[in-house]
Amino acid sequence: MHGSTTMRGYSRKIASNMTWMLSLGALLLVVIVVLDILITVVRQGAGGISLSLFTTQTTGIAGGLQNAILGTLDLIFFSTLFAGPVGIMGGIYLAVFAPDRIARTLRFVAEVLAGIPSIVIGYFGYTMMVQAFGWGFSVLAGSISLSILTLPYIVRTTEASIRQVPKSYYEGALALGLTPFSALRTVVMRPATPGIVTGLLLAISIGLGETAPLIYTAGWSNFNPTLHLTKNPIGYLTYVVWTYLNEPYSSAHRLAYTAALLLIILVVILHLLARFLQPRVKG
Amino acid sequence: MKKNWKHKAYAIASALTVGAMMMGGVGQAFAKTNVVKHSVKHASGPVVHLQETGSTLLWPLFQLWVPVYKHVNSKVDLTTAGTGSGVGISQASDGTVQIGASDAYMSNRLLSQHPGMLNIPMAISAQQIMYNIPGVKKGVHLHLTGNVIAQIYLGKIRYWNAPQIQSLNKGVKLPHWMIVPIHRTDGSGDTFLFTQFMTDTNAAWSNSVQYGTSVSWPAIKGALGANGNNGVVALASKTPGSIAYVGISWLNNGLSEGLGEAALQNRAGRYLLPNPGTIAAAANMMIGKTPADERTSLIYAPGANSYPIINYEYAIINEKQANPATATAVKNLLLWAISPQGGNKAVFMDKVHFLPLPASIAPLSRKQIAKIHG
Amino acid sequence: MKRERFLSLIFRVTTGVMASSPFLILLFILIVLVRDAIPAIRYQGSSFFTGVTWNMGNMYANNPIVHNGVQAAPGASFGILPFIMGTLGSSLIALLIGVPFALMTAFALVYKVPKPIQRVLSPMVELLAGIPSVVYGLWGVESLSPFIEFKLGPLLTRLGHAVPFLAGPVGTGFGLLTSGLVLAVMIIPIITATTRDLLMQVPTLSLEGAHALGLTSFESVRFVAYPWVKRGIFGAIVLGLGRALGETMAVLMVSGDAANYLPYNLYSPISTMASTIAALLDSALTDFTGMSVHALAFIALTLLVITVITNLIARLLVSMGRQNVHVEM
Repeated sequence: MHGSTTMRGYSRKIASNMTWMLSLGALLLVVIVVLDILITVVRQGAGGISLSLFTTQTTGIAGGLQNAILGTLDLIFFSTLFAGPVGIMGGIYLAVFAPDRIARTLRFVAEVLAGIPSIVIGYFGYTMMVQAFGWGFSVLAGSISLSILTLPYIVRTTEASIRQVPKSYYEGALALGLTPFSALRTVVMRPATPGIVTGLLLAISIGLGETAPLIYTAGWSNFNPTLHLTKNPIGYLTYVVWTYLNEPYSSAHRLAYTAALLLIILVVILHLLARFLQPRVKG
Repeated sequence: MKKNWKHKAYAIASALTVGAMMMGGVGQAFAKTNVVKHSVKHASGPVVHLQETGSTLLWPLFQLWVPVYKHVNSKVDLTTAGTGSGVGISQASDGTVQIGASDAYMSNRLLSQHPGMLNIPMAISAQQIMYNIPGVKKGVHLHLTGNVIAQIYLGKIRYWNAPQIQSLNKGVKLPHWMIVPIHRTDGSGDTFLFTQFMTDTNAAWSNSVQYGTSVSWPAIKGALGANGNNGVVALASKTPGSIAYVGISWLNNGLSEGLGEAALQNRAGRYLLPNPGTIAAAANMMIGKTPADERTSLIYAPGANSYPIINYEYAIINEKQANPATATAVKNLLLWAISPQGGNKAVFMDKVHFLPLPASIAPLSRKQIAKIHG
Repeated sequence: MKRERFLSLIFRVTTGVMASSPFLILLFILIVLVRDAIPAIRYQGSSFFTGVTWNMGNMYANNPIVHNGVQAAPGASFGILPFIMGTLGSSLIALLIGVPFALMTAFALVYKVPKPIQRVLSPMVELLAGIPSVVYGLWGVESLSPFIEFKLGPLLTRLGHAVPFLAGPVGTGFGLLTSGLVLAVMIIPIITATTRDLLMQVPTLSLEGAHALGLTSFESVRFVAYPWVKRGIFGAIVLGLGRALGETMAVLMVSGDAANYLPYNLYSPISTMASTIAALLDSALTDFTGMSVHALAFIALTLLVITVITNLIARLLVSMGRQNVHVEM
């Protein structure tokens, strides 16, 4: 082919092929790592999946994970309840109303907030919510900490999905005599919804996997969540992975792996759902 | 087609929202059913949730207590956590938990900041020094002195066959293996006991590191930290050359992980292992000086047969609880815990190698428990 | 109609307030951190960043000491250089290992892998990004640290003659290298996903043109596609760095919790700034002077400042990268 008749061409071709080999090798290694993580978790965690896992609470070293599963859902529920509306509305403002410079600044701030190490939020949650506000270890302190973490993602994805809706839809609706508000509601928000939901799902999957901001805000409980928003500590799955792994009891070990497996399964489900929605946004 | 995906997206979005709501609600509903279940069993009063956290040395005992206490008083739901005595002290003082567990009593200053805090002994415990030395046979108990251990943790003695160690162990062939000192990262009552022993036996230590639930460890290359007694045992067992201080409730676990247990030199110069006899001997020498608030060290007791590292296991409690029901629940639990027919029964104590609270001390603890109110 | 207009206005204002909530939250966090850190700044000054000893002082002493008008436990001294070195060291390893792997993986994914396989592998890489950090920690404890202790470490120590930093002892497998590798695995998906998306935007026409000019297939990627997306990739790398610098749990589980010494070789136990806050907050709360908590707040503030700086750089690079693409298009 082109230029391959010379020696130099040959060596360049070899160099090119070798780099591609290296790249494929890198890809292979990444795949191996993913598989190793999955295998490590599945091998020791799959045996723990049973009905009683979902129906019994932990005793501290054995038992089920009902309290942690429900606690995680509870925390996710409230953090989505807080961060969802705020983030979506914020995203709408950035995409539709905000002057360029303000939008750019706020976007940057959201990015910084997203980049803050989660333990810093944990510290903040502990000194302010747990101590100063007197909420103690609680669903409220834990879920607000989580919502601080996930809020920027929701803002970002909402803004991005609205921006993908062609401006002409909006302008056309205005030309038809709709007010800006109802034009937005009818022709902009509808096509943007799958993207926004995708963002919510990813935010949920981020919140699901957090530990550091919860240790000092949600605490831990061996029992199912209570109806109280404050003063009542709550269990969650990542805590099980983090602490039970250190226990010298095989039953506790198994629970740690099973909790890790549950977390991965939940993340996979959320990603699949998000994927299911995503290509249709673009197409 | 386009309409189709829109509908699909909507369906998913709404299904998810509803699903999330339901899941969130389910947690609450479950809580409700549990409450109902219990209150049916015991017509009077709702279930009280008590939260215990702290000492990993005391934690195995709580693990034994919880299922039994469920039968004693089914109206109390007790969550236990082995987080380290530092956590026990700080969270009980904060009011984030009702019961802090600690192998260390609170300092004078901390107590003056939280004047309502009680330090209530529930049992007597001990600490052993464990090691993982390649080539040293199982069942051989190395002889160690506080002074030598301090020099190890100060970085003055770096190899297991150092003359200071070898001279204490004439019959044992020690390898030229680097010593890896393991310490606790979390605020720990075990650290408190260990550093008190070091302070009592080594002048350099008492002038520099001193004692506390968390101290500034001398910089030694390769020295490791671990979280909780559980973490220490796990780390020591996978680290050849390591030495660690371990609470006695983790002794069986440490031995089954293949760790060795040192015979420690006591004040009288004898090398002893912790066992009911040597712990009781040390307790007998020390408990007489227990003040009314029961905050006292039992470390490095005199007496030929006294094991040097023993201590009270404390429940750290705020005498003012959130409400009368909680106060009553805490009181009943503690009274049961220190009762010879309850939590101090031999079936519990023997498993964790604790000694029950001495008969002369129990009244002091009961007096403190009586102060708890809602 | 009037009502509509009023509603629009209300809506606009509400969304505006919501949009500024990240700003308000960030400001609130910043104020709290500064307020909490001030006593530690006064007590320790700049030696906070250069000292190697972290000592919360004798918490069982009866009287505090006073320095610069603030109280601390006797003997208290807060030097975080070992945590800084641990943080930088592990993040550096994460970048050194993670970036080449991430880039090559993206190149392979976009240009070399058949479409059906790409459709399977691509989400797999994204799944890596979604795995909770405690699960990475668990994998680090269970799978990676034994691998380093018994396989990779002993192998690398053979190079110790040439590079002293690689020399033994390898220790337990908990330490700098393990932390760095866990972090590398954690940042690979961030960089790979961004790079892949950017590469997809490169017009195939220009690649084909380059090929027609006689460039080998890799050369055309290297000299045509890569410059096109370079800045965007840099931005992603800096974001990955931000993640590595602030990671808490996974590092806490595999770092070995070194106290008061700097990393001395590749396998040395370390502590990082973020993991130290998580590990020490509870014991700091038993400091009767409160100074230890202030010192942790100072670490948190430092991390926050680092986050702002890395994000500024990333933003600068990404936006410049975008402009590039726009100009070319």
